[in-house]
Amino acid sequence: ELLGEPEDTLAERLTRLVIESELEDPAIMRAVHTRVPSAQPAALNAGIWDGPAVLRRIRGPLLAQEMPSVSVLDYALPQRPPQAREEERDPSERALPRRSSSPVIGSPPVRAVPIGTPPKQAAVPNFNQQILCPKPVHIRASMQQRYPAPYGERMSPNQLCNVPNSSLLGHPFPHSVSPVLTHLQRAQLLGGAQAGRMSPSQFARVSGLVGSPLPSVNPKLLQGRVGQMMSPAGGFRAFFGAAPAPPPPSQPQPPPGPASHLQGLRPQPQMFRPDTTHLHPQHRRLLHQRQQQNRNQHRSLNGSVGDRGGHRGSHQEQARKDPYANLMLQREKDWVSKIQMMQLQSTDPYLDDYYYQNYFQKLEKLAAAEEVHGDGPKKERTKLITPQVAKLEHAYKPVQFEGSLGKLTVSSVNNPRKMIDAVVTSRGEDDETKEKQVRDKRRQTLVTIEKTYSLLLDVEDYERRYLLSLEGERPALMGERKQKICDMYDNLRGKAPGQERPSDDHFMQIMCIRKGKRLVARILPFLSPEQAADVLMATARNLPFLIKKDAQDEVLPCLLRPFSHVLYHLPLGTVTSLVQQLTNLPQSATAPAPANLHLAAVLQNKFGLSLLYLVLSRGEELQTSDASTELMQDNQWTELMLMATRELLRIPAAALGK
Amino acid sequence: EKHLVLLRDGRTLIGFLRSIDQFANLVLHQTVERIHVGKKYGDIPRGIFVVRGENVVLLGEIDLEKESDTPLQQVSIEEILEEQRLELQSKQESEKLKVQALKERGLSVPRADTLDEY
Repeated sequence: ELLGEPEDTLAERLTRLVIESELEDPAIMRAVHTRVPSAQPAALNAGIWDGPAVLRRIRGPLLAQEMPSVSVLDYALPQRPPQAREEERDPSERALPRRSSSPVIGSPPVRAVPIGTPPKQAAVPNFNQQILCPKPVHIRASMQQRYPAPYGERMSPNQLCNVPNSSLLGHPFPHSVSPVLTHLQRAQLLGGAQAGRMSPSQFARVSGLVGSPLPSVNPKLLQGRVGQMMSPAGGFRAFFGAAPAPPPPSQPQPPPGPASHLQGLRPQPQMFRPDTTHLHPQHRRLLHQRQQQNRNQHRSLNGSVGDRGGHRGSHQEQARKDPYANLMLQREKDWVSKIQMMQLQSTDPYLDDYYYQNYFQKLEKLAAAEEVHGDGPKKERTKLITPQVAKLEHAYKPVQFEGSLGKLTVSSVNNPRKMIDAVVTSRGEDDETKEKQVRDKRRQTLVTIEKTYSLLLDVEDYERRYLLSLEGERPALMGERKQKICDMYDNLRGKAPGQERPSDDHFMQIMCIRKGKRLVARILPFLSPEQAADVLMATARNLPFLIKKDAQDEVLPCLLRPFSHVLYHLPLGTVTSLVQQLTNLPQSATAPAPANLHLAAVLQNKFGLSLLYLVLSRGEELQTSDASTELMQDNQWTELMLMATRELLRIPAAALGK
Repeated sequence: EKHLVLLRDGRTLIGFLRSIDQFANLVLHQTVERIHVGKKYGDIPRGIFVVRGENVVLLGEIDLEKESDTPLQQVSIEEILEEQRLELQSKQESEKLKVQALKERGLSVPRADTLDEY
């Protein structure tokens, strides 16, 4: 009854897909036929527990279709219908001879079959073979489902070392079996790709032992259990004959028995929580809703037949409406989404996907803040949980042969062979014209800007690293940060510590370039007050020049905010001198200055005007607030003010009007 | 469940998504190609489509309830094809004028199809 139903569709599928069998093996046909009437799946289910006769029968047709396999890897990959899959297999799928040296740094890990080949044959029959015909432990440990590492899970370095592509393993296993496990892992890795070829659909047909733990386990897996060991799939468990193999410790649902799991496979979405943890949260919600709707509908249709009956009914209902639905099994869908998730894996998300991470951090902060206030239903942040892969340390050992002298040079993607001898010849100095000198100088400035920018980005990132680092490392980090800040400042002002820094030239060059101005604006918060004041002074001193240069870019206003911050911390003396610089007033009041073009230019520009205003207001603040300084600096300030106002008045109103 | 696929050449296909793979190759069943011109649209039934993944721009599921309430008006196939032709024509003409005007000013914008697609 129950087993009969999935079996029917099974037979249907088989017949539908077997268009023409290349290996028109009488054995196959026999197997197909015998499968239909008898409870073949059941037999396969019973698997180990049946007599050898049954198994032999299974083995027969399967063995007959062994693929040509490489002896090194020693697979026996039975070729079963659907033959339709054969077209998919291009030559590359055939197990390639393994490259003798494929260090990771040398070249990307070689897979006998490319990752992208669809999952193929179930390993169970293969597996049964193992049991009966004792082959050496090349248990292609039926790794049908190669799921990425449980998201967010940390893997022990030991496992990582053993499993270069650790992300593709995904089945917890009791610790007791570890030593064999390692070997098996390796064996499985060798054949890793081929394992991946198993199709979930094949798997469904030959459900068997292997199937049992997987449906139940996977959802849990993907929900990110911590501390699970990697292992081949559950078929492994069967191998050790422990039917009541200790299930993974924290698995809430008991692994279904052979009978129920068969049902569990197809109606899996209804039995277990479907394997949707990797989907976008909204998508998952929709799916659930839809499933529940369907379930409700069908339940109501079929009355209150037991659960199983209800499921069967729902299937028939769906089948009636749309015979082509569910062409892709859940397995296959999972397989595809698994691949897509693999592509999203990243060892350093901050490096690969900086803006995305920051954006979501901000969102989360917002959500957290909101939650403090209100308590409404927690809005699910629609964040796709991408799998995180721990960084793997690859040690590259170049291949070595016995008895040879020295090492081979392997040319690969990561260290290409040198093909051309390119020699840089610099032309003679006298050839350089004035233009070229100017151009070179500009180029040098650009390079300085870029270098300083990278320093700046690092400094800005220190805060995050600080939070992530351990206690002991923090002082070192701080030291690094300080050093970088100093370097930045040096870059800005032109490294010439010997001199008195008389020339603002270097700084001016930087300021002439748009990016340079932005750079200064971003650096200012990190500089010490004296250094910042220095920068301000230099700017003020040369403001008219800068204004002229900035006419096209109009980037100067970006400096306004950091400048105002800096101003806030400056003592009055500095402010006074700033005003002086800005207005270009002579030191002594006596010398009558000619028409003050400097001031005029400053006033005509929005930035200059705002800066002047800021400085003046700040000066006034300081002047009025601090009683003690008033006495000393008093004269200087007020004198300055007098002169300034005099100058202001002198400027023709017309010029100011612009 | 019906899906709507937008292809790189601007066509929209609607059909039941039967199978996908990692390259986003799609198998669509009972596909209908929908042509939109302005507020009108027309459907051309096509049958089974196999789409190569690199040509897919968007893929989305159609909410069957929402499918019925749309401000767009469905017209017959001939009509919509006619509309499309007209629209194409007018676009080409305006494009020609633009290029002409730019040429007079000494600028030349390379045409999209001569550019590399990426």
